[in-house]
Amino acid sequence: MMYAKHFGNLLAAVLLSCGCFAGDISLEQVLIEGESWEKVVGGMKFCDACCTDNVGNFYYSDFSGRGGIKKVDITGKVSDYIPGIAGISAMQFGPDGRLYGCQGRNRRIVALKPGFAPDIIVSGIRPNDLVVTVEGHIYFTETSTRRVYQINPKQGGSRLKIVAKDIAKPNGIVLSADGGTLLVSDHMDKEIWFFRIEKDGSLSFRSPYASLRLRTRHHPSKGDGMAVDAIGCFYVTSDLGLQMFDPTGRMSGVIHSPQPGKPLVSVVFAGKQLEYIYVANGDAVYRRKVKSKGLMHW
Amino acid sequence: MKFRNLLSLLCLLSVACALADDYHLGPDSLRKEGVPQGKLTMHKFTESKVYPGSERDYWVYVPSQYDGTKPACLIVFQDGKWYQDPHGHTRAPTVLDNLIHTGEIPLTIGLFINPGVIPAVKEGAKPRKNRSFEYDTLSDQYARFLLDDMIPQLKRDYSITDDPEGRAVCGISSGGICAWTVAWQRPDAFRKVISYVGSFTNIRGGHNYPAIIRKTEKKPIRVFLQAGEKDLDNLHGNWPLGNRQMAAALKFAGYDFRFVMGEGGHNGKHGGAIFPEMLRWLWRDYPQK
Repeated sequence: MMYAKHFGNLLAAVLLSCGCFAGDISLEQVLIEGESWEKVVGGMKFCDACCTDNVGNFYYSDFSGRGGIKKVDITGKVSDYIPGIAGISAMQFGPDGRLYGCQGRNRRIVALKPGFAPDIIVSGIRPNDLVVTVEGHIYFTETSTRRVYQINPKQGGSRLKIVAKDIAKPNGIVLSADGGTLLVSDHMDKEIWFFRIEKDGSLSFRSPYASLRLRTRHHPSKGDGMAVDAIGCFYVTSDLGLQMFDPTGRMSGVIHSPQPGKPLVSVVFAGKQLEYIYVANGDAVYRRKVKSKGLMHW
Repeated sequence: MKFRNLLSLLCLLSVACALADDYHLGPDSLRKEGVPQGKLTMHKFTESKVYPGSERDYWVYVPSQYDGTKPACLIVFQDGKWYQDPHGHTRAPTVLDNLIHTGEIPLTIGLFINPGVIPAVKEGAKPRKNRSFEYDTLSDQYARFLLDDMIPQLKRDYSITDDPEGRAVCGISSGGICAWTVAWQRPDAFRKVISYVGSFTNIRGGHNYPAIIRKTEKKPIRVFLQAGEKDLDNLHGNWPLGNRQMAAALKFAGYDFRFVMGEGGHNGKHGGAIFPEMLRWLWRDYPQK
């Protein structure tokens, strides 16, 4: 087991060090033969907002129902985390240990803590997905206005800033493995947009670094939630399944959706070693053990 | 698997590769006594308008015969670092010295450009590597980068021909398909192409070229494709097959092309060994009488 692990790391190092020619990362290097999706929780109307904490427990939101935010611990036990809260479309723990969530229907971003009322971080916007940086900055997408915003909680009143605009339907948002680059998926078009994060948190040098496969050229990509693994590959939920890309933006492949007829909207690595990919797929949460591993930003 | 086993596996693999790639540089790729050497200078480009935020090194080769009285021809290399390397697979400056000296190719300036990176601002964060984005994308963006960013830069100091027949692009792997894409998009500016083990595979849609070429009115491009039987067969595609498809499509569509399938793998050994021959063939009738 130990050798196997080292071999994996060494192989990854060899592949990466070969730089230009190699670094070809196929699905085979991620998927485990014989492993498939297993249902974790089902029977909801619509679930979303997959996230993990700093020990690998998994969280999701019963978006349309009354189940609130649930926790699935690393042993698989399901419990209530924040009961009753609805309409949470994205969540992530911040470096302060609070759970930040998008609650678009209430036009706000909230910080949650079990047993406390939601702390409203910002209101009057319609957030879809968010990411929190190690500095505590929040970036979120507002799909309807085609914008990406940044919040610096340390700056009082005028802390809400538009940092990107004119993306057809900005949806998923995630940081690169090293936190230096911001990725935004587009629910309409095929592009995954890459931005450099500047010192003040503003974004620069946008480019359509990776492209999703489309069902046909006229179908929306339905690019949605994203996750990044420890070596910098990124995974995007979409119309056609979970699309995986290598760190240089080349598509590695498409992983089947557990239920192809239902929306695949959110993805995260969780588990004791972040060795499971969890997805929210319509009425149910599924997970799948993989060879790649997620990473902790703190 | 134990570390030792892995090492021996890697050794075996490299031995196998060495046996397959038994190609050597000929006299035209080595320095010859009495042949004047051109000047190679290294520069950094950080002002790209076409790839904003990108930074890269590039090298300019100017033949010793150049005196500015008439415009020079131009050859552009992707992954310029490898092509200008005096110990590399191609040693292009030396080849240019030799073939310009004998008059087998015209007076030609070499522009060796590395792929861009967009450095991260955050401490310890890695730069965004732009190589695949720049080289594998099937658009006119890289051609615009050459025409709007790089060539104007070069023209500040040197006189370069505007005749597309006098301009070549050369590259390896993704740099190879990039060379083709530049000419395909802008045959008004580049009409000569060299591809070593070109990635005519589905990295970002490059496998579609053979089909596109067959159903497009012929463009005035002359292309030399080199490929290897032991080249990659991976998630993006099969390199020897991709190049065969390209050659078949070029033949079908009536292009002026040469295709050489060697025994090698995904490297520049074979391409480097025949680079002088490629140049002679590309420039065989230039300037047109």
